[in-house]
Amino acid sequence: MNAVEIKNLSKNFGPKQAVCGLDMTVPMGAIYGFIGENGSGKSTTEKMICGLIPTSGGSIKLYGKDYTDEAVRAKMGVLIEAPGCFPGLTVFDNMMLQASNLSIPNADQEVIKVLKTVRMEGAAGNKYKNCSLGMKQRVGIAMALLGDPTLLVLDEPLNGLDADGMRIMREVFLDIIKDGQRSIIVSSHLLGELQKVATHYGIIRHGKMICEMTADELDASCRTYTALQSAEMNRTKMLLGCKYSRVEEDEAGYLRVYDMVSPEDIVTYLYENGICVTEVGTDKIGLEEYYIDLMKGGK
Amino acid sequence: MENAVKFEKPVRSKRIGSMLKVDFRRMLRSRIFYILIACALVMPILMTVMMSMMDGSVSVNPQTGAETVMQGPENAWQNIGTLPGGALGGDEIFMMCNINMAFMGVAVFVCLFISDDFRSGYAKNLFTVRAKRGEYVVSKTVVGFICGALMLIAYLIGSVLGGAISGLSFDLHGLNAGNIVMCMLAKIFLMLVFVSIFTLISVAAKQRAWLSICGSLGGGMLLFMMVSMITPLGSTFINVVLCIAGGAMFAFGLGAASKAVLRKTSLV
Repeated sequence: MNAVEIKNLSKNFGPKQAVCGLDMTVPMGAIYGFIGENGSGKSTTEKMICGLIPTSGGSIKLYGKDYTDEAVRAKMGVLIEAPGCFPGLTVFDNMMLQASNLSIPNADQEVIKVLKTVRMEGAAGNKYKNCSLGMKQRVGIAMALLGDPTLLVLDEPLNGLDADGMRIMREVFLDIIKDGQRSIIVSSHLLGELQKVATHYGIIRHGKMICEMTADELDASCRTYTALQSAEMNRTKMLLGCKYSRVEEDEAGYLRVYDMVSPEDIVTYLYENGICVTEVGTDKIGLEEYYIDLMKGGK
Repeated sequence: MENAVKFEKPVRSKRIGSMLKVDFRRMLRSRIFYILIACALVMPILMTVMMSMMDGSVSVNPQTGAETVMQGPENAWQNIGTLPGGALGGDEIFMMCNINMAFMGVAVFVCLFISDDFRSGYAKNLFTVRAKRGEYVVSKTVVGFICGALMLIAYLIGSVLGGAISGLSFDLHGLNAGNIVMCMLAKIFLMLVFVSIFTLISVAAKQRAWLSICGSLGGGMLLFMMVSMITPLGSTFINVVLCIAGGAMFAFGLGAASKAVLRKTSLV
């Protein structure tokens, strides 16, 4: 059984098709990194999963049941766009409102526990409107964690978080899925951060799922490249460009050779042509580069 | 392992109970609720005292030279409705500041209360875990109804205090205390009709508070004139039954319409 199973999902806003024929599978115990450009349909899909906007077609199943099933929905946690808090109430009061909605027994203790998880217990008495962006984001995540949810849907949860906040979130995410039954759908543009925790990925473009894979599959798909620097970069680039099919200069000023070739061969070739390599190494492209490549390929 | 994931369906009464608890807690912490109750309490006192002080004063129109003699209230109950025997009713002497203004005041409360849900994003949290739109409508209607009822009671208290301060007569002119109780009950139950309309307009307008307030005040004005006709000071049990029936009909009918609006439209 999968945590989320979406088949042929579509959503139209008037003549505009925001999501068209989307298929998505989130296994139990997965942290599903949901990636896509702005306006690709990520948030719309997440809102449909949460039942916040009606679908135009297709089916959504959560833990094998229809997404409108009350029992499943009662065990969901959500953070979409912004935390749903009343600005004039304190953080604690806002949390208590959601705890009451969820009929949580010993709500005050549970609220404190969840606030402790996101290191916000000290700000429980602060009015929500006086919290910083990062604090608000933590409150939103704490609110999503209330009631021990089985499925978390988080839209850009890492926005506004500082380095410590991101580390805490990674720990929280990993802690949630450790029993293998809970799942998290996270959409984020911070791909480097997402790659640290995601176990599965789904890449959406123009409302269609263009690729779904596990973290291992991504790792296998990510090409190895050789990065190097020399005293004569322009000539080196020209020479390498003549011999190899894909040579690019990265932001740090290194030349990257993506062909399946050993660094020794490259260094020897350049040496034979009178170029001395000053630095050489191999690395793998990350999720961010993989995603950019995929998007470029799609264009 | 897979079978270990168990979901319990929340009990209906518990669900509605928790939603009502949240909404009452919010109501008791909202500033607009206290402002409206304070207005309902203070306004009749101020109006009665002011009108009593101006009683008999003559104002002259500078252009035409016509003289107008200001007429003040004669009886404390005039704030609530027209007394038999010719004394003007609250809707005539106090214009829009009579007890029936509570029906307009509650429009502001309901619209802000519901639009806040959508503006703050609270509705997202709520509807994700609580799939039943009908329960949301019930909860908002009940809270709006209670707020309206409290405003009416506050106005009644204010009228009595204003009358006492101004030294007005409390003579009922052939009516009895039972009629006033029936009149108040009829008004309270009629409040359900108004609150149902305001709830429907507010859930349709969602976060656009200005739209829901304008729509609700406009819609309320259409029905406003009938309030004093249906709930006169000499109301009997029939008036109360009529208002209960009307309130129930509107609450169910418009409640179903509100539910359909929530079901068919985006909640964000």
